[in-house]
Amino acid sequence: MSTTQAAAGEVSGAAGDGRDGGRVPLSDRARAERRLGWWLAGPAFVVMLLVTAYPILQAFYESLFKYRLTDPDAREFTWLNNYVVVLSDSIWWRAVGVTVLITVITVAVEAVLGFALALVMHRALTTLRPILRTAILIPYAIITVVSAFAWFYAFSIDSGFVNSWFNWLPGISEDTNWFGEFGTSVFVIIASEIWKTTPFISLLLLAGLAQVPEDLQEAAKVDGATWWQRLYKVTIPNMKAAIMVALLFRTLDAFRIFDNVFIMTQGANNTEVVSFLAYRQTISRLEIGLGSAVSVLLFLCVVLISFLFIKLFKVDLASARGER
Amino acid sequence: MDEGQLSRGTKAWWWVAGIAVIVYALFPVAWIVSLSFKTPSDLANLQFLPTNWVWDNYDNILVGDAQNLFLSALRNSVGISLIATFISVVLATFAAYAIARLDFPGKRLILTTALAVAIFPVISIVTPLFNLWRNIGLYDTWPGLIIPYLSLTLPISIWTLSAFFRQIPWELEQAAQVDGATTWQAFRKVIVPLATPGVFTTAIISFFIAWNDFVYGISLTSTEAARPVPAALAFFTGASQFEEPTGAIAAAAVVVTIPVVILVLLFQRRIVSGLTQGAVKG
Amino acid sequence: MRRRTVSVAAATVLLTALAACGSDETTPTLTWYINPDNGGQVELARRCTEAADGAYRIETSLLPREASAQREQLARRLAANDSSIDIISLDPPFIPELAEAGFLAEIPDDVAEAVTENVVQGAIDGATWRDQLVAVPFWANTQLLWYRKSVAQAAGLDPENEPVTWEQLIAAAQSQDKYLGVQGIRAEALTVWINALVASAGGEILDNPEAPADQVQLGLESDAGQAAAQIIEDIARNGLGGPGLANQDENGAMLQFQGDRGSFMVNWPFVWAATLAGVEAGNLDQSLVDDIGWALYPAVAEGEESRPPYGGISLGIGAFSEHTDLAIEAAQCIVTPENQAYYMVTNGNPASNTEAYDDPEVQETFPMADLIRESLEAAAPRPQTPYYNEVSTGLQNTWHPPSSVTPDSSPEDATTLITEVLKGERLL
Repeated sequence: MSTTQAAAGEVSGAAGDGRDGGRVPLSDRARAERRLGWWLAGPAFVVMLLVTAYPILQAFYESLFKYRLTDPDAREFTWLNNYVVVLSDSIWWRAVGVTVLITVITVAVEAVLGFALALVMHRALTTLRPILRTAILIPYAIITVVSAFAWFYAFSIDSGFVNSWFNWLPGISEDTNWFGEFGTSVFVIIASEIWKTTPFISLLLLAGLAQVPEDLQEAAKVDGATWWQRLYKVTIPNMKAAIMVALLFRTLDAFRIFDNVFIMTQGANNTEVVSFLAYRQTISRLEIGLGSAVSVLLFLCVVLISFLFIKLFKVDLASARGER
Repeated sequence: MDEGQLSRGTKAWWWVAGIAVIVYALFPVAWIVSLSFKTPSDLANLQFLPTNWVWDNYDNILVGDAQNLFLSALRNSVGISLIATFISVVLATFAAYAIARLDFPGKRLILTTALAVAIFPVISIVTPLFNLWRNIGLYDTWPGLIIPYLSLTLPISIWTLSAFFRQIPWELEQAAQVDGATTWQAFRKVIVPLATPGVFTTAIISFFIAWNDFVYGISLTSTEAARPVPAALAFFTGASQFEEPTGAIAAAAVVVTIPVVILVLLFQRRIVSGLTQGAVKG
Repeated sequence: MRRRTVSVAAATVLLTALAACGSDETTPTLTWYINPDNGGQVELARRCTEAADGAYRIETSLLPREASAQREQLARRLAANDSSIDIISLDPPFIPELAEAGFLAEIPDDVAEAVTENVVQGAIDGATWRDQLVAVPFWANTQLLWYRKSVAQAAGLDPENEPVTWEQLIAAAQSQDKYLGVQGIRAEALTVWINALVASAGGEILDNPEAPADQVQLGLESDAGQAAAQIIEDIARNGLGGPGLANQDENGAMLQFQGDRGSFMVNWPFVWAATLAGVEAGNLDQSLVDDIGWALYPAVAEGEESRPPYGGISLGIGAFSEHTDLAIEAAQCIVTPENQAYYMVTNGNPASNTEAYDDPEVQETFPMADLIRESLEAAAPRPQTPYYNEVSTGLQNTWHPPSSVTPDSSPEDATTLITEVLKGERLL
C-alpha cells in the first residue's frame, strides 16, 4: 500500500515552521486559534490513536501471557517468556532474513525502474503523457490480492503461460516449477510486488524531477556535460529529498509484505515473512500470547527502520526544506 | 521541451519507451482478463489466451452458484470502503485545514502521529482488535471494518490534504476576514470551493486503499454480513471441494478491478497530482 | 456485556431470517455452517426445513474452502461463545480440538446409537473424542488408487485383482516413464498422504493423541515412519511425482493423471465425477474414461493391508446454540441414508452410511461404490488430538518439499519440531 508519501517532508516542514511558538504572551485571537486548531484536528488525532495505540498496548499486554484461544483456562502470566521463545528461535530469524531480502531487492529494483519510468513520463511527448499516466496508475490502484493471483497463475505449472513462452531461456522449461523452491518462489513474489508498487515510487520521483531547475540543466548542457553527467551531477542531487522519502516509505511498506506471500506460497519453501509468521501464530494457531509477541517485535522492527532512515537522512530533509 | 525540435528518430524512440511502459502496466491485467474467459479444462492449456472465450465464470459469480458469496462481498466492499473514505476525508479535511492554516501547539504531534499510524504493521493490531470486537459485538459487522480502515486511510488523507491546502492562496481568506467574515465563514465561503478538488482527489486515493485491504477483511469477518471481496476470493470453490476455483477467482478479480480502472481513466490527472503533491512540494 | 452481544447477534440472525422468508414468527432458525460444495448442503437444508414442518428452519452460512481456514474461523467464533452457530460441518481432524475446548454440545446416547447404525467404522472413529460421540457422521471420504489400464498392463500389474505396493508403482512408473499422482503441496493434502503411508506401514504419527500438549509422543521415529519417508524420497528424488510435485494438490494430481504421462494416482473419488464432466464439456476424450481403473489404496509392504486416508464431514452441534435439541434433530434429518445417497450422487461426496451404497443411483453414478465402502472400512483417521493443527503444520514444515525428505532425518526433524512446539518452546 502506498499510504505514506508526504509524511517525512511534512514532519520536517512542521518542525522548521517556527510558527507554533508560544513564548510571547498570547492574544485572545491566538488563544481562539489554538482552540479551534484542536477542535478541528482533534477528532482525527483521537481516532488515529484509538485504532492503533490501544491495540498495540493490548498486544503488548497479551504478549506477556501464555494464552491459547481454545484453552482459555490455562492462561498464565509468563513475563517475557514469549519474547525469549521468539528471539531464540531460528524460524523468527529466518523470517526476518527473508523479509529483509525481499525488502532490499524490491526497493533497489523499484528505485531504478521507478526512476526510469519517471524519466520516460517526464520527457514523454505531450500526446503520450496522459496515456502513460493512466497506464501506470492501474497497477497502483489494483487490489494487491488480485495482482498476486495474476502473477501466481501466470507462473503456476498448472495454468501459467510463462513456461511455454520463455522456455527458450536457459533454466526455464515446460517443467519449471516456480513455486517448488525458495529462489524461484521469491522471484515471483518480488516480481508481483515490484509490478504493483513501482508506479507509486515513480510518481513520487516524477514530482521530484519536476523540481529540478531547468536552467541548471541548460547550464550543464552549455558546459558540455553528457546526459549521464547531467543525471549524476544535476538531476539526482537536486531531487535527493524526493528519492529518500520515496525509499523510506517503500522500505517500510515492503517490510510489511503479506498479501503476496499469503496468496502464492502460504510460506512454503521458506518464504515465510514476519507478517505471515505473526498471522500464523495468532490467527492459525490461536496462540494469542506468542502471536502478540511476534506482532510487537514486528512493530519494533518497523520503528527501528524509520528511526534509522530519519536519523540517516535528516540532512537531506532539511535541505529539501530550504528549497521551498 | 519543444517537441517540434525532435528528430523523427528520437520521436520513434519515445514511442517505443512509451509502449514498453504501457505493456508493463497492462500485461498482468490482460492476463487475468484472459484467464477469466477460460473454461475449467482450458485453464490448464498453458497458453495466454483461451481456446474458446466463454462467459461461464462471470455467470457463476454474478448469477450462478457463487452469486450469494460474491455479490454480498461486493456490496460489503463498496459500502465499507465508501463509508470509511467519507469519514476519513471529513476528519482529515478539518485536521488538514488546522495544520495548514492555524497556529496551535501540537501540530507536529499530529503529523508525527499520522506518520506513525501509516507505518504501523496492520498484522500487529489485528489480534487485539479481534478480541475487542468480539467482546463489544463489532466482530463481523460493517463498523468492525470501517473503524480499522480509518487507520489506513486517515493518515494519507491528512497529508495529501495538508499539501493541497498549503497551495491555496490564503490571502483570499484573510481578505474575507478583513471584510468582516469570521474564521469559519472565511473557511466555508472562500476556501471550500478552492479545496474541493483536493478533497475529491484525497477521497479517490483513500478509496483505493480501503478497497485494497486484505488482512482486516480475512481476520475480522466470518460471514457474508461483512466479508469484503479480497477476503471472499478464498471462499470460492470449484465443481467439488478439491477442484481449483481459478476461473471464478479470475472473474471476480476482473469485476473488482473495473471500478478502479474507471476511476483511473476519469481522474488520472488528479490522482497523479494528489499522489505527488506532498512529497516534494510539501 | 457478553450476554447482550449474544442476544443481539441472535436477534439479528432471527430478524434477517424473518425478513428473508417472512414466515411464521415462532419458527426457530438454525444456522448451519457448511464447507463449500456443489450446492448439496443448501438443498439438504431446504429438504430438512420442509420435513420439519415448522419445527425449525435451517439456514446455511459458508465457511472457507481450506479445511484449516474453516477451523480458524469456527474456533474464533466458538471461543466467543457465538450462539448463532447451531450446526457445523466439521473436517474430522479438527473435531478433538473443538470437543476438548467444550465448543461442541453433547450428543445424547440414544441419538449417538441411532446415527452410528450402519456407519463405517472410520467415520465413527473420526467423530469420537474420549470415547464419546461428539459429532454426527455425515459423509465420509477416502482415497482410492486410480490407474490407467494401459499403463498398468504394460507394466504387468493388475491392481484390480492383486493388491499393489508403492514399490511396485514406483518401479512401474519408472519403467514406463510416467508420473505417479501424489499430493506434495505444503498443505493438509501432504499430511493426508504421510498419515496413510505411516498407517499402512503399521505405525502411527502420534502414540498418545489424547495426551496433554507437553506429553504428546510422536511415533514417526520408527520403522513405519522411515518406510513412509523412504517412499516419498523414492518418488521425489526420481522425479516420479512430476515437475510440480512440491505444490501439487488433489486437483493438480488429477490434471497430471489425465494427461499423457498419467499412470497411477492416489486421490479422492471427486476425480471420477470431474473427469466425466471434462468429457461432457468436450475437453477430455471418452477413451480416457475407458482407460481408467480403480483399486484399493496401495500397500507399503507386500501382503499387508493398506490403511487408506479418511476424510469427509461430520456435523457438530454448537455448544452455545439456543436450540441444541432442534439442532440435533436437524442433524439427524440431514444424515439419513436417503439424503446421503442424494448428496453422493449430486455432489460426488461418498456417504458414511453403508445403506446409502445400496441406492441404485449411487451404484450407477459410482461404478466403484462398493470399493469406496470397502476402503472406508479400512481407512485410518489422522491423529485425533486437540493439537492437530500443530502436528499437521509441523509435519508439513519438515516434510516439504518432498525432495528433501529422507528416512534418516525427516522423522527425527518432525518429532523434534512438533514436540518443541507443543511444549511452547518454538514458533511454527
